[in-house]
Formats: sequence, C-alpha cells, structure tokens
Amino acid sequence: MPITFKNVEHTYNNGTPFEYVALKNISLQIPEGKVTAIIGETGSGKTTLVQHLNALLLPTQGELEILDKKIIATEKPTDLKALRKQVGLVFQFPEYQLFEETIAKDIAFGPKNFGASEEEALTIVKEIMPVVGLDESYMEKSPFDLSGGQKRRVAIAGILAMNPNVLVLDEPTAGLDPQGAKDMMDLFVRTNKEFHKTVLIVTHDMEHVLNYCDEVIVVKNGEIKKQCQVQEFFESLELLEELRINPPAIIRLREELIKVGFHIDSSILSIDELAKTVAKEVKHHE
Amino acid sequence: MNNIALGKYLPLNSVIHKMDPRAKICAMLIMMIAIFIPAGYTGYMIMGVVIIAVAQLAKLKMNFLWRAMKPMLFMLSFLLIINLIVVRTGNVLITIGGWSIYSDAISQTLYIVVRLALMIMITTILTATTKPLELTLGIEDLLKPFKVIHVPAHEIAMMISIALRFIPTLIEETQRIMKAQASRGVDMENGKLMDKMKAILSLIVPLFVSAFQRAEELAYAMEARGYIPNRHRTRYKQLKMKGMDYVLLIGCFCILGIIILLSVGNFGLI
Amino acid sequence: MDKISVENLTFSYDKEKNAVEDVSFSIAEGSYTTIVGHNGSGKSTIAKLLIGLLDKDQGHIYIDNQELDYDSVYDIRDKVGIVFQNPDNQFIGATVADDIAFGLENHQIKSEKMQSIIEKFANKVGMIKYLDSEPTKLSGGQKQRVAIAGVLAMTPEIIIFDESTSMLDPQGKADINELIQEIHKESNITIISITHDIEEVSKSDYVIVMDRGHVVMRGKPDEILLKEKELVKLQLDIPFALKFTNALKKENIDIKSCTTLERVVEEVCQLRLKM
Repeated sequence: MPITFKNVEHTYNNGTPFEYVALKNISLQIPEGKVTAIIGETGSGKTTLVQHLNALLLPTQGELEILDKKIIATEKPTDLKALRKQVGLVFQFPEYQLFEETIAKDIAFGPKNFGASEEEALTIVKEIMPVVGLDESYMEKSPFDLSGGQKRRVAIAGILAMNPNVLVLDEPTAGLDPQGAKDMMDLFVRTNKEFHKTVLIVTHDMEHVLNYCDEVIVVKNGEIKKQCQVQEFFESLELLEELRINPPAIIRLREELIKVGFHIDSSILSIDELAKTVAKEVKHHE
Repeated sequence: MNNIALGKYLPLNSVIHKMDPRAKICAMLIMMIAIFIPAGYTGYMIMGVVIIAVAQLAKLKMNFLWRAMKPMLFMLSFLLIINLIVVRTGNVLITIGGWSIYSDAISQTLYIVVRLALMIMITTILTATTKPLELTLGIEDLLKPFKVIHVPAHEIAMMISIALRFIPTLIEETQRIMKAQASRGVDMENGKLMDKMKAILSLIVPLFVSAFQRAEELAYAMEARGYIPNRHRTRYKQLKMKGMDYVLLIGCFCILGIIILLSVGNFGLI
Repeated sequence: MDKISVENLTFSYDKEKNAVEDVSFSIAEGSYTTIVGHNGSGKSTIAKLLIGLLDKDQGHIYIDNQELDYDSVYDIRDKVGIVFQNPDNQFIGATVADDIAFGLENHQIKSEKMQSIIEKFANKVGMIKYLDSEPTKLSGGQKQRVAIAGVLAMTPEIIIFDESTSMLDPQGKADINELIQEIHKESNITIISITHDIEEVSKSDYVIVMDRGHVVMRGKPDEILLKEKELVKLQLDIPFALKFTNALKKENIDIKSCTTLERVVEEVCQLRLKM
C-alpha cells in the first residue's frame, strides 16, 4: 500500500482575489519502507505537498491514496483521524507544539487522542523515550525546562508514540547545531531500519540527502521536477546546476579534482572511494 | 477571513487615499458628532449623499460598503424584534394574530439603522483609504497635545504599530500550531467538553510561549538598535497637510453647521 | 590594536549555573572573528553581553579601551550593531524603509536626512526595490538583508552576527554570507560571527571555540580546524577537507592536513608532480 498522488492540485484561497496555486497536477508514487528526501526552494510547494499526506490539506483537484485511504477532491473525506494516526507529521520547529506540564504527559497526548488508555499510554511513553535518547528521569520534568534540541526530541517522541506507519518530517534539523542535526538524522534512519517505517524528510541539506536518504523528490514551482534514487540524483550535475543546488562537499571536491586533470568516475560519492582513486593516480605517477 | 470588509485597507489610488490621516481622522470625528445630533431625516439625507460622494471619490465600490455593513445585520434585526415588542406608541400599522405593530417601533428602528449605517460607512472609508501605519502616525500626532496631561502619545503609537506588524505573524503561527496539534489527533470541532478544553489548551499554551519569546527577542532587537523608552526620537514619516485636507475639514465643519441649524430648526418647530 | 577586549567575564541567568564563566579574549580592529560551539555553549550570551543587552556579573569588557558599564552602554551601543537569528523577530518597522529608519529615529537623525540614508543602505544590501514592502511579503533572507541595512545605517564600528543565517534556506545563507564578506572587505568594520558553518570559519581571521560557558580554544582557523580530536570532543563539525586528507593518509599518501577544499586540490596536484 504505497502513497500515490494522481493529478493532485492544491489552490489556496480558491475563488478569492488571493487565489494561489501551490501544487499543479502532481502525480507521484512514494515507495514504502524507504527514506525519501523532498527538496526544493523555499515556496516551491514542499510543505503544501507533505500536508496532504495526513489530510491536513485536501486536494482541490485530483485524488490521492495514502496506505488504504483514498481521498478524492470532489468527495468529502471521512475518518481523517485514522489516517492521521497512520501518518505522523512533524512540523518545522516542532518544539513549539509542546504544552503539557510534564514530558511524559506531552508524549502521551497523541496516543491518548487516538484512544490509548492511561496505562497503555504510559507503556508507550516508557518505550519511546529511550528511542529519542531521553532516559526515564525526564518523565516528570517540564518540557519547557529543556534545551532547544531536547524539546525537539520530546516533540518527535510525541509523534513516534502514535506508532505511525509513515513518518513525515518538515525540515527537522533547522536551527540545530551540527551534532544535534546528525543525531536527529541517525534517529530517523533508525526508525526506518529498525522499526520499518516509511520516512519522508523535507530538507535543504544536501549532505543529509546524500548520507541518509534512499530516494529524492524534487519539487519546483508546485510541480514534481524529478524523482529518482539518491545516487542517480547526484550524478546528474546539470540538474543540480539547473536547480541552483550547491552540491555536497564530496562532489565539489571531485569536480575540482577532475578539473585539474584527475580521472575520476562521476559515480563516486563516498570519501573513501574518492581517496582510493586519487591515491592510485598519485602513486601511478611514481 | 478575506471577505471581511470592515476595517480593511484597500490599496487604491485616489484623492482620499492621498490625504493626511490626521485630516481624515478629524473629519471622521466631526461627522460622528454630526450623526449624533438629532437633525431629522433631512440631515441624514445630506450626510448620506456626502458620504457616498466621498466613497466614490475614494474609488470604493458600493458593494464593499455593503459588505462592511453586513455583520451588523444580525444585530439590527435583533433590535427590530425588541422594538416591535417593547415600543407601544404611535399608530397601529397592522395587527397579526392579536399582536399590533406600532409605527414608532418601525421609525425608531429605522432611525438607529440610518445612524449606524452612516457611522459604519464613515469608518470604512477611513480604514479602507488609510494604511494602518498612517493611521497610527495620525493618532500619534493628534495625541501629542495631550502630552501635557501625560498621555504617552509616542508609546501608544509604537504599541499599535508593533501590534499591527505582528498580527499576520501570529495568525500564521496559530494556523501552524492548529495543524501540528491536528496531526497529534486533536479535533477542535468535535468531542466532549473536556476534550475540547484540552484542544484549546494545546493551542493557547504554545501560542503564548512563542509570543513571549518573540516579544523578548523583539525587545532585544529594539534595544540593540538604540531604542530607549521615553527618550525623544525623530520620525521618518512626516505628515503634511495639503490643500485638499483643509477642504475636507472645512467641508465637514460646514456639514456640522448645517446639521446644527437643522436640529435647532426642528426644536424650534416643536 | 584591540578593538574589543574581554577579561574574566562571568554571567549567569539564574544564579545557579554560569552561562559564561571566566571568559577572556581580544579581537583586533577590522578583523573577522568567528565564534563556534554547540548550542548552549554560551556563544549568544557573549554576543548579548558585548552589546550590553545583558549585564555581566563579573569581569570587564572594553571596546576601544572604554569599559562597558552602566554609564557607557549607550555610547558603546552606538558603535556596535547586532543581527540576530530569527528574521521575523527583529523586523520592527511596517515596511522595509520604516525598519531601516527605526535605528535612525532612535539616534534622532533629522527626518529630511533619513530618505537618502535609507536608500543608500537598502541599495547596499540589494533591497532598494522593496522599500515599501511589508515583512510578510519577504523571504527570510531578504528580512536578514534589511536587518543588516538597518545596522549599517547607524555606521557601526563593530557588527555581531548571532547565527544570522541559521534559519535561512541555502540561497538565503549564501546571499547573507556573501554580503558579510563584502562588508568585511570594503570597510574597516570589525566583524564577529557566531556560526556553525565550518566553511565560514575557515574564511575568517580568528576563531574562538566555546564549550559550556568557557573559551576552550582560540587562534587562526588553520590551526584550530586541524585539531580533530578536540573538535570531535566538543561535538563540532570537522572540515570535509580534513576528513579527505585523513582518508588519503590511510591510503599511505603523505599529504599535509588541510582545512579547505582549495588547499586539498593544491596539495594533491603538488603530490602528483613530485611523484
């Protein structure tokens, strides 16, 4: 049961002078069980796109199928709550959605909304907290006493606690320091590998796309510009240039080395492989 | 949200748009006084014609003025019902099922409707032709003389302009938090009272937390750029009264004069 | 000459834990200094102390040899400008022009003179076309450019950038970084940039590394960025160039450790010639 968009269009303020078409005729299939990056410039429609995944936004035209739920633009959808349980959406700066007195209560908020009992919720909280790197001593603390990065972990734990099949994250590393960002990305890859969740990440960080993701979806001006494997995406330098994307450091170095006369295959995307190739060529001159 | 006409600025290019906000605010106040003088329907006719003429000059569509009045319809119909029940003077117009409707009930309601309509039209013209920022500047300047009695004119204007500046930001934020909580299974519309309370809490708390943080950062930014409360500042945007502004004010005083005369005349007749 | 000199500076928000503890450093006039450290290491607190938004508990801050204290804070603030992280929360005016004017109004510049100053600096940051635009119509990067114009308009001698690019998209980041470089080259303004961006650090003149309220390392970027073990311990990024030269060393290539890609390319080319 993958996620399928069929000719989806989304227009904000439909029928007013402020009408704005954010998504145009989107058709796409998001594979299950993978980590997919959604990239594109600010205002390209990425956020609008992902907000369709748990029906926060409904298509103004077209239809989409999310797991076993079908949403058609002309029909009034029912039982969106069940869908929202299956697709966990983490907003940008999710630390701003915390509101409970204790961390445990805040994490339990989602599961309880979806019908978990007090005890069930407590069990879930105890399971989830170590996953995001918080031990039990944090349970009774106020979320507002935490640092920014820790608050974000609590917010993400709140979504993971709903045990969704699909986890969608809108710029989850924005504003974190490099180590915080790395820990965060490791967490998402872990939820994918260990808990077999389909993970979608909206991001601007090409290093993250290269190092953590399997697939890339490029959104441009409300349309899907490209969807492919990460390897393939970074091999097409023309596309990167057209999208005005500053490539990851490994590609920049590789291209600079090619410019000065090294013979390097453009499929090389790992630091060790690049080092091996360069080393071989340097030694070869001996 | 976008259909509300009351209080909304319309970026058009007209003589009225270009006028000094101080002149427009004063004109509004003078007209308000005129409306409250009981001058009979002749007076209201005159004012109505003048106001509609000004609206035309401002390039406002009648439809827009009508939309501004719409929210008042409910209140007015409520008023009519009350009057029909309470007012029992004048001639009996019609009797339905033993209940008589008196002429005074209708005329008193009409009287209020006309005055309210005129007031809404005047304020709508003011807000539709004057940018919120200009209004603030106008209010600041008009309040200046009251500094003698310690009215902090500048601080009031600064507060209004910052509030105006952050309204769109906070609306956006509200929508974002609502969506984020909806993703956690919050249903703002349905559910038991307790669930609803919790739902509202899940919106209000984050909104306050973030508003306070914004306020703190804004205060730092203002202070870092040399803002010291109560210290004299110069002002970038200067207001200047031009010929048209004086024409507007003189016109308004003329109308006020006519209304006063009419009113005195009315009483003279009684 | 030292433009800024900080001696044994200590500050605490809650009187329990020091956010900044016994910090000393000095910054040369006209230099470009970066301050790095993971979130919560006290970098932003230093920035707020330097401009007198927070009141130090102990120690001394000298700017142009004048001590920052209760009496001198307003004079010193005239010399020091700051651009904060969140583009939304430092946009005070209703439009771009009004926002640039905000500082000028505070400094009681005559209103006749303002228009030309506003235009000059709006032009400098590439926002001249947007003078009448409201902040809701601008991108984060554009708002930060306006903030920079507002600071420049007050002719500061020092500008502090407190993670000014961390909330921007790559395009916005690149634009602002370029603008900062330009300001550094064209003027004698002393620049302090608090950042996580290793590439920006490698371009700066001087680096101060902070951890838990202390200054743990300071020096030229070339020296600091090669201290791999320390950087890892401090949870900081290691330059990609260094990772690559390390990988080459593993392949038994005798190469100098580098901190920038340009240096790597140079070194590798030389090796090729030598062998």
